Amino acid sequence: MRLLKTFTKTAFLAIIFLITSKNNSFADGGFPVRPGRLLISPSVSYFFANSQWDSTGVKRPFANGGKYTSIGGTLYAEYGISRRFAAVASLPFVYNQYSQNNTKTATSSGLTDLETGIRYYLANIDFIYYFSLQGTAITPMYNNNASLGYGKEGGELKLAFSGSAPIGNLSAYFNAADGVRQYFGGNNGPIQNRWNATFGLSLDEEFENQVSATLSGINSWSTDKSFVSALPETNKNFSFIQASLSYGHSFSHEISLFLTGGEFLTGKNTGVGTTFSLAFIYRLDYR
Amino acid sequence: MINAFTKNIVLVCCLFALSGLQQVFAQDEKNGEVTTVLTPHSSDGIFSSTASFTFAVNNTYKNAESGKISYLVTTEANKKVRADSIRVKIAGNGSGRYDFEIPGLKPGFYKINFMINVADYDDTTRKAFGIRPTEILSTHGKPADFESFWHQAKLELDKIKPEYKITELPDSAKDNRRVFKVEMKSLDGLVIRGFLTEPVTKNKNKKFAVLLGLPGYQVTLGPMFGTDPDIAIFTINIRGSGYSRDVINVRRESYIVLNLEDKNRYILRGAVMDCVRAVDFICSRPELRHDNIIAAGGSLGGFLSVATSSIDKRISFCSAANPILSDIRNLVNEVDWPFIDIRQYIKTRPDLTMEKVLDNLDYFDAKNFATNLECPTLIGMGLVDPIAPPNNVYTLYNGIRCPKHLIIFRDLGHEIGKSYNVYEGRWMRDTFALF
Repeated sequence: MRLLKTFTKTAFLAIIFLITSKNNSFADGGFPVRPGRLLISPSVSYFFANSQWDSTGVKRPFANGGKYTSIGGTLYAEYGISRRFAAVASLPFVYNQYSQNNTKTATSSGLTDLETGIRYYLANIDFIYYFSLQGTAITPMYNNNASLGYGKEGGELKLAFSGSAPIGNLSAYFNAADGVRQYFGGNNGPIQNRWNATFGLSLDEEFENQVSATLSGINSWSTDKSFVSALPETNKNFSFIQASLSYGHSFSHEISLFLTGGEFLTGKNTGVGTTFSLAFIYRLDYR
Repeated sequence: MINAFTKNIVLVCCLFALSGLQQVFAQDEKNGEVTTVLTPHSSDGIFSSTASFTFAVNNTYKNAESGKISYLVTTEANKKVRADSIRVKIAGNGSGRYDFEIPGLKPGFYKINFMINVADYDDTTRKAFGIRPTEILSTHGKPADFESFWHQAKLELDKIKPEYKITELPDSAKDNRRVFKVEMKSLDGLVIRGFLTEPVTKNKNKKFAVLLGLPGYQVTLGPMFGTDPDIAIFTINIRGSGYSRDVINVRRESYIVLNLEDKNRYILRGAVMDCVRAVDFICSRPELRHDNIIAAGGSLGGFLSVATSSIDKRISFCSAANPILSDIRNLVNEVDWPFIDIRQYIKTRPDLTMEKVLDNLDYFDAKNFATNLECPTLIGMGLVDPIAPPNNVYTLYNGIRCPKHLIIFRDLGHEIGKSYNVYEGRWMRDTFALF
């Protein structure tokens, strides 16, 4: 009977140790959202481009030393409604600037496209890999300002796939998502395919520090093939692939900070962008 | 292996006496050894029809080793089912691989012994395997009044006021958890004790899911800790175990047979009610989630987990590792314990027979509880478990009608591997939406 006794004690220790494993990665993946949990993420971002890829993918600098900068602030939130459903919303504000040598700088600013959606926890594989489906409505918060966006309502359906696994004493996770977005009104769309894939790794057992690498891109198709600005959300027929690196630090279970830097690797009819962002994440549990 | 080991020991002793240790090592190295590896062609030891194995032999002796490799398949009750052998000759400093296929076996679990007998080496390797275990069914039903028996027990428990006494133990706090000693009255007015540990939180509205830890046989459960901020842990010492021995305090071997002649006084009836009382306590606490309770345990704790989850629907997740006392009538000829103690007990009571004991134990058969489970249930078993044999555990598993999952550990006995706890944690968090 000694075996029974030893086993039982061991089993309980293992239970307590292992049920603490959890994900603490950045939002917007395939992982479900805990019911009653409100995640708020205010972020600031910086975009810079002094060259562009033309419609054939040839890279060239803007005329007269032209350069685009865009400073943005976004408020993102998600809330777990139930085990299966979560509500998501984001509201961006941008300040855009285009300057050329010997020319007056052009600026524009304002709220851009409000995104509101519902995420549905579809399924899992062995409680390691999770799938979610998200429907999002796009509502422009401006009128007739091409430097802020298309000014059209739209809808998006996105499938996301996430998973995590231990690597030694550390944890790794990935998020992969692909969404099809259609802007309505008129006959020039655009219709877009937006995708991203992230691989993250914790730097310590407590998940206090983590790094991640992301590859993302947009392919946008429209009969309107004009080049409005270096900012991707202003053109209708374009594509790009961006690589970015992030560092995340959790100050507590409730508060995390993410620093991200990214570079556009290739594209067509868009700017050769360099991006930086700083995002705070607050997690508040209401049950 | 024992044979070769003994030969080597004798040789070492003789040479040590004659020539000194250095020369002994030289002689041992010169002799070499035979080693074997038996590999089932199934990761969990389960086959759909023909069981197959590879027996690999490595010979580091200079000379060839000749002899035979044989196998013996028996039921879990050690009844011979199949046997065969082949002649082998393994070259000096050589190796050989021998494949065995065993077709035509009925659904069930079997023991298999592989024996090698060559000139300088004899060894037996023991494994177990299963054939289409989802088809295993018990040949014994449950008593017609099984449900009313336990309903009556719960009614009796309801008449006992719990009189909860909760004492915080500040000196025992650790892992950012508060610790409480809990006393309560259970069936027959017996006082039982447990320990509740709760994560410290600033969120006054926070409600914790609860892990109800159930003890193995005669195991003393103290407070359990951990860093999970979402889970409170309540460990309970059932009557006659650990910190609940005020009235019942018997020797280890006497516990399982205590009052076995009367199903209404049998120790496990009260023990299961102690677990129900523990659930009563959890549901009396406003800071605990009454719809997120996992009952978990191993061995007797596995039995208690199945039994309590079956009769108390407030439990929302059941985890039972190596649950004992399943399909008890078919256990009689398969396991030593607890029947050694039961037979001894019967000898001391002239009016008691094994048939009467088995009639009573039908009310405490884990497989009979399993059919009434309604919550997600995880079962773990070792394929060479001598106390909770796979046939019996699988009978329990096959009876479960709600979402269920079984994890088989091919090479383990009365224990489970780490992967069980990992899966349990993940499934529980998903079920309780603790994402």
